[in-house]
Amino acid sequence: MDDIKNVIELRNVTKDYGDFKLDNVSFSVPEGSVCGFIGQNGAGKTTTINLMLDVIKRDAGEIELFGKSIDHDSASLREDIGVVFDEMGFHEFMTGIDLNIMMKNIYKNWDEELFFSYLKEFSLPAKKKCGSFSRGMRMKLQIAVAISHHAKLLIMDEPTSGLDPIVRNEMINIFREFVLEEDHTILLSSHITGDLEKLADEVVFINGGRIVLAGNKDEILEKHGLLKCKKDELEIISDSLIVSSEMGNFGVEVLVNDRYAASKLYPNMVIEPATLEQIMIYYVNRG
Amino acid sequence: MKGLIIKDVMCLKKQLMIFAYVLIGVLVVSVMYVLSARFGNIALAGKEMLATDQLSGIDVKNLGSIALVLFMLLPPATVCDMVNVFEADGKAGFHKVAASLPVSLRKRVLSKYLTIYTLFLIGAFVDILIAVLLSGITDLITLKDFLGIIVSSVSVMCIYSAFVIFFCILLGCGKEMYAQILSIVTMLLVVIIINFNTIKGIIISIVKSGEEDSVGDISFIWNMLDFIKERSYVFLIAAVFNSVASFVLSWIIAERKRGVI
Repeated sequence: MDDIKNVIELRNVTKDYGDFKLDNVSFSVPEGSVCGFIGQNGAGKTTTINLMLDVIKRDAGEIELFGKSIDHDSASLREDIGVVFDEMGFHEFMTGIDLNIMMKNIYKNWDEELFFSYLKEFSLPAKKKCGSFSRGMRMKLQIAVAISHHAKLLIMDEPTSGLDPIVRNEMINIFREFVLEEDHTILLSSHITGDLEKLADEVVFINGGRIVLAGNKDEILEKHGLLKCKKDELEIISDSLIVSSEMGNFGVEVLVNDRYAASKLYPNMVIEPATLEQIMIYYVNRG
Repeated sequence: MKGLIIKDVMCLKKQLMIFAYVLIGVLVVSVMYVLSARFGNIALAGKEMLATDQLSGIDVKNLGSIALVLFMLLPPATVCDMVNVFEADGKAGFHKVAASLPVSLRKRVLSKYLTIYTLFLIGAFVDILIAVLLSGITDLITLKDFLGIIVSSVSVMCIYSAFVIFFCILLGCGKEMYAQILSIVTMLLVVIIINFNTIKGIIISIVKSGEEDSVGDISFIWNMLDFIKERSYVFLIAAVFNSVASFVLSWIIAERKRGVI
């Protein structure tokens, strides 16, 4: 059997800003997968992405993209990467035509025809200044630029935040189409877990600069559960199963990290499947 | 890197429109000026001042060429402001996009220099065309002197731009105005330091002759003019040295700071 190739691999990556520290971050993203990079605002998602793109220097650790260290010619590695930021970084006076002129002189594999076909598909006027575009249009323009050079890895930092559900859904469909090619991979940073639940194969959850959870999304959802019990019953639940709990008016809700073990140990208690959002909230509450 | 240069030129689009108007304006005004200096009112005024000993023949000729020096400076000066590019990049947040492109940091820094120097070369080319035309119809200045002025003025603009790029990268986004001020102050300081004794002498002579309604000896200005015309290579060498130093330092700073370009 072929080994699974990791497109992204971070090993013990550290970056210390004094007031914030990205602490020993390690995770990997297999080729052909969609990895949801989740965490609340300020958790370290953008810092991690900036480190991957070599925008900022790390203090320690190793970062590999496509199996090659970013310390050696990170610029050429970026030929195969498309990046979408939360805010469009193009000048407002630029049109689709201007961007095409610029990008075809930057990317070796820039596909002019493909770019204009994406503009058409996304209903983006090629001659209109992008400054007059709505937020959704700006995002779509970024995506069109990011994938028109036949990128194999798409890194996106909060691309769906601030968008209405219709546009978000459209974008998710674009991402789905992108990963139809088996060597295409997506790292999608977001705090909108609903989008990731629809799209992601893998999930990496970061909190306070530390990775608290990483793995296959379905396995994570399968393993975790919301156990509902009375306040006095909380004491009997094994600490090793509890991620954190929340007191309510009618009892306690406990996120357990192994719902099958919990259901065997406590057959009289109700255990429901947890959503990614609930898992995120309970892990954050754990501190 | 070529794409980044194209983007920078796009950022200077507004300025390039002014650049085109200035080129046409300079050409028209220069021709009018030279014709007037040869056959028109300026020639008459010069003759009158010569007759009444208000000015010497050298003064008349030098005054004529000073006006032409200013005309030569105008085309490169209208495009020299890289501050606009840095401001536009900062406003758009383009440094994030730039960092995600397959262009190394060294090339991203280099592209800024290449953009502005390419535009200066275009300005210089137009200047040369004007110089060839004007030197043919006036004896105020020879083609050789004209070329000297062009090399000097373009070199000065290159020195200024190299300072602007360096300070923009050093200070980071949003501080472009300070970069501009610091560049001008640095250049003034260099001129003052190099000419310290001459400037001191002029100030002393002005102070001494304060009540005599005199501004002292203007030969200093004519010497400067001769220097600009005849020793333009000094400016060129200074521009090359300054550009290389500015590029290396800017690159080192950009590597350390990251996210500024």
